[in-house]
Amino acid sequence: MTTKQDTSADVAPYTEPSGFQEIHERLTDLGVTKVAVYAALGVFLVWSLFPVYWMVTATLKTRDTLLSFPPQWIPLDAQFGNYAQLFAQRPEFVTFITNSVIVTVVTTIIATTVGAMAAYAFVSFDYPYNLDFHLPFYILSTRFMPPIVTIIPLFVIFRGVGLVNTLRGLILVYTMFNIPFAVWMMKGFFEEVPESLVESAMIDGHTHLGAFFKIVLPLVKPGLIASAIFTTIITWNELLFAVILAQSAKAITVPVGLASFVTKFSVQWINMSVAATIALVPVLLFAFIARQQLVRGFSMGAVGK
Amino acid sequence: MATDTEQDVATPEIGQFQQQESTRETVLLWVDDNLKWLMTLPAILILFSLTFYPLIRALQFSTLTYLPTGTTFVGIENYVDLLSDGAFINSMIVTAKFVGIAVAAEFVLGFAIALVLNKKIKFRGLWQTLILIPMILSPTVIGLIWRLMYAPNGLLDYMAAPFTGGANVGWISETSIALYSVILTDIWQWTPLVVLVLFAGLQSVPDDISEAAIMDGASRRQRFLHITLPYLKSLIVLILIIRLVDALRVFAKVFILTRGGPSDATNVISMEMYRTAFRFNNFGEASAMAVTLLVLVLILAMNFVKIANVEFGS
Repeated sequence: MTTKQDTSADVAPYTEPSGFQEIHERLTDLGVTKVAVYAALGVFLVWSLFPVYWMVTATLKTRDTLLSFPPQWIPLDAQFGNYAQLFAQRPEFVTFITNSVIVTVVTTIIATTVGAMAAYAFVSFDYPYNLDFHLPFYILSTRFMPPIVTIIPLFVIFRGVGLVNTLRGLILVYTMFNIPFAVWMMKGFFEEVPESLVESAMIDGHTHLGAFFKIVLPLVKPGLIASAIFTTIITWNELLFAVILAQSAKAITVPVGLASFVTKFSVQWINMSVAATIALVPVLLFAFIARQQLVRGFSMGAVGK
Repeated sequence: MATDTEQDVATPEIGQFQQQESTRETVLLWVDDNLKWLMTLPAILILFSLTFYPLIRALQFSTLTYLPTGTTFVGIENYVDLLSDGAFINSMIVTAKFVGIAVAAEFVLGFAIALVLNKKIKFRGLWQTLILIPMILSPTVIGLIWRLMYAPNGLLDYMAAPFTGGANVGWISETSIALYSVILTDIWQWTPLVVLVLFAGLQSVPDDISEAAIMDGASRRQRFLHITLPYLKSLIVLILIIRLVDALRVFAKVFILTRGGPSDATNVISMEMYRTAFRFNNFGEASAMAVTLLVLVLILAMNFVKIANVEFGS
């Protein structure tokens, strides 16, 4: 023990195991910590998922069983008619869904393409004044700006050029929103593509642009999918800009439609639950299909590699 | 057959075809020569026109009385007015409470779960995916989910009944409780992000260093303080900044749950700005609020990085 301590002076000196540690080790031997670990995760899982379960099952209840004492934990007499009822009472909800789908799909295509192109250029070209270093940081910094700061001028500008209450206006804003993430996400992927691949493709007669589309893009497909899924989720979910820039039915998106079910004082409980469930299904579906990229994307997006 | 037709068409126009080819080539060569600008231009243009330019306009609006009836230049009057605007000052305090409590709770809880997840457990991928669900949901949907949980006679009233004797708590209608209820929904949504990021960091701590430390007899606590924490340092700073900046702009949850009420108890700064601009049509004062918020975010983010660097000694 003493020799160990001597040879490793730069490491923290050895101390006697504390009482706590001893207890910990004895509990580990008994398998108690293992139980505690799974119990902690289990509690956190229930805490994270139960509210979602509660909302989804609310769509199958009646007004009386929705807020009953004691609560109805499992909807026994499932009211599937609630779904038909939403569209019968609020037929405009179909338009909201269509609007959201159009805005989300177009935004995703544009933002991913524009972001990927910029990311590739920053990775593979040299710019004067060190711009290949500064521009990505300028792009990233826009992500930290509170969106509400620009929303008043954007509203005034859009009103001036007739973009208020149009899907085009929303698409523009959401593209702006998503570019920083796409650029930073794709940068990491392009950095892993060897330069020699592009060079040999150009020797084979491809243009640089052609090599980008035919050789490089297929290699970074996981990155493209991840950026696309993120853009889709963020765009589908966004409320603030939609509330301000889309006030007439022809441009209202799902989140704004959802907000209309609640006022300060009253809530249309059943319709609200049904609509919210319809809004969250595509997100869950996407997340499930792409769970690998999702985990990678979230840690990468946050880490900003 | 197919070859015949192609030749028939191609032969008489061969000169023109070649010329077309060369214009096409010139274009492609020009594109390739300027590729580094062409590829970045769309992104820069969109970001410049939709963030930088509006920012300049926000600065300009903040010096005007921008009312539907007309605009006049008033200099810094809007900013001076903010200092005596009770609703604005209240919204700053509410926002500070919201950000402080939410981010602290998310960090502590998230770090704890990340440490648990880092143990040898089965189905780690599945756990990881499932606990991510809250953070991918729309804040609007989250607001609605919790509106249902907080409803009078709702689930949380039922669970609190042993303490309240069955009376409704008024989770989002009672002035003294509402803000904490809104904060809870934010903790619910964003703790998973802290888990995910710190867990990724924990995974990157090299095993051999930990093992060497164990050989040298370093205690659990020492290993945590001298190996794990320094490794996670930059990630901790990063996740705190991200959560800080994002929590400062919370809007949708408040909009759905309380609209800033009861009696402004949950009136965060975005909500106050929204009301000033789009309820009272006072774009000038709302822009002054926006600029103030932006400056605040910048100061916070910059100081945070500085403090973090000194504290951890990068």
